[in-house]
Amino acid sequence: MRNAGLDLEVIVDRLYAPLYRFALSLTKSEVEAADLTQQTFLILAQRSHQIKDVSKVKCWLFTTLRREFLRVVRTHAIHPTLEFQPDIHDAPALSEDALRALDAKTVLGALREVEPTYRTAIELYYLSELSYKEIAETLEIPIGTVMSRLSRGKEQLRAILAGAISESSNKIIPMSRDEEAAN
Amino acid sequence: MKKQQIEMTNERAKLLLSAYRHNGADAQDPFFREALEQAARDPELASWFANQRGFDAMISEKLQSVQPPATLKSAILSGIQGSPSRHPFPLGQLLGLAAVLVLGGILLFVTRPKNEGLPLAQYQSAVFAVLSEGTALQLDLVTSDLSRAQQYLSRKAAPRAPEIPASLRQLPTVGCRAIGWNGKMMSLTCFSLPGGELLHLFVIDAKSLGEIAPPGDIQEINGWHVKFRRQNDMLLMLVSKAPLSELSGYI
Repeated sequence: MRNAGLDLEVIVDRLYAPLYRFALSLTKSEVEAADLTQQTFLILAQRSHQIKDVSKVKCWLFTTLRREFLRVVRTHAIHPTLEFQPDIHDAPALSEDALRALDAKTVLGALREVEPTYRTAIELYYLSELSYKEIAETLEIPIGTVMSRLSRGKEQLRAILAGAISESSNKIIPMSRDEEAAN
Repeated sequence: MKKQQIEMTNERAKLLLSAYRHNGADAQDPFFREALEQAARDPELASWFANQRGFDAMISEKLQSVQPPATLKSAILSGIQGSPSRHPFPLGQLLGLAAVLVLGGILLFVTRPKNEGLPLAQYQSAVFAVLSEGTALQLDLVTSDLSRAQQYLSRKAAPRAPEIPASLRQLPTVGCRAIGWNGKMMSLTCFSLPGGELLHLFVIDAKSLGEIAPPGDIQEINGWHVKFRRQNDMLLMLVSKAPLSELSGYI
């Protein structure tokens, strides 16, 4: 019954940081994100014997974290399933220099402003680097819907960042990694 | 049935390539092949794709720079691996965890007078107070390894079963906890049953309960199945909500 193929220490080492980032994007609170990340690993430890396919652990963890978040905040918003159809791809152009000047907080803040329908898909895309198949599995939506959400979500993110750059480009001071971590 | 071919327009290629990871992790995925070929043929699409990958790389880089709290990894590992932590999982707010447990524990601790001959009924109440939280158990150590759980309890000078029944040794553990109660120590070790329910093993020094005569058969108390066992000086109390049909092989 034990899952001998599941090395929890290795899994924690590999995935706690991306899970925390995903939790942070969901909860907007560092304390709650840390708690949610711990709770997710606690559930993994409790149910490790139920995991049949070790290769699915990453996807399982992100799915579990998201479910725990939804359970806790009792969010039952309906995320409409989108049609798999071509979209308009005329997002505003952003220069590489302008993007480079942005700090992590600004990007994370912009990510949070993306409509909830699209946000989770692009959070998983950027923060967990899940594949489109894994995102579909995690969110329990069709692959076509993942495509639509990623496409539209990225457009929104570009637009939000473009707005942030134009509004406060003179105020943005890039922070070092240590400063970001300290904040 | 023949699969319907969808024409690969630039718009459709953009839609598909929106899911293409900038680090090349999808390079071998045939799902993207046609769209990538289209990008190789069409300069406008190629330019869009290069811009998109640059954007994705930059956003990923920014977001990856967000660092978890320095203590998070050790806090997780202390639960999973067995490094004892004075502060077990701080799950309170998110889980609605432990409010009942903590309150119950405090009340038990504060209101019970110290007594050399604590009766079995009080001990039983304390056990159910620990289990009454309902949502998730608070454990000092989360581990699927019984020997680690035993080592932890030993370090904490918590009572342990002289010999874990062979049927239980086959089960993965969930974790354990050393519990102070009325100046005494008791221990809890949780096992995961195949059906998904938990089986809790509480152990206390029987002498601390005075002269007791625990029932020998399986009891049903408040929806819990309870079975007492004596092993030398230790009193083992096995508690589970699993159906008797599943428990019979274990308790």
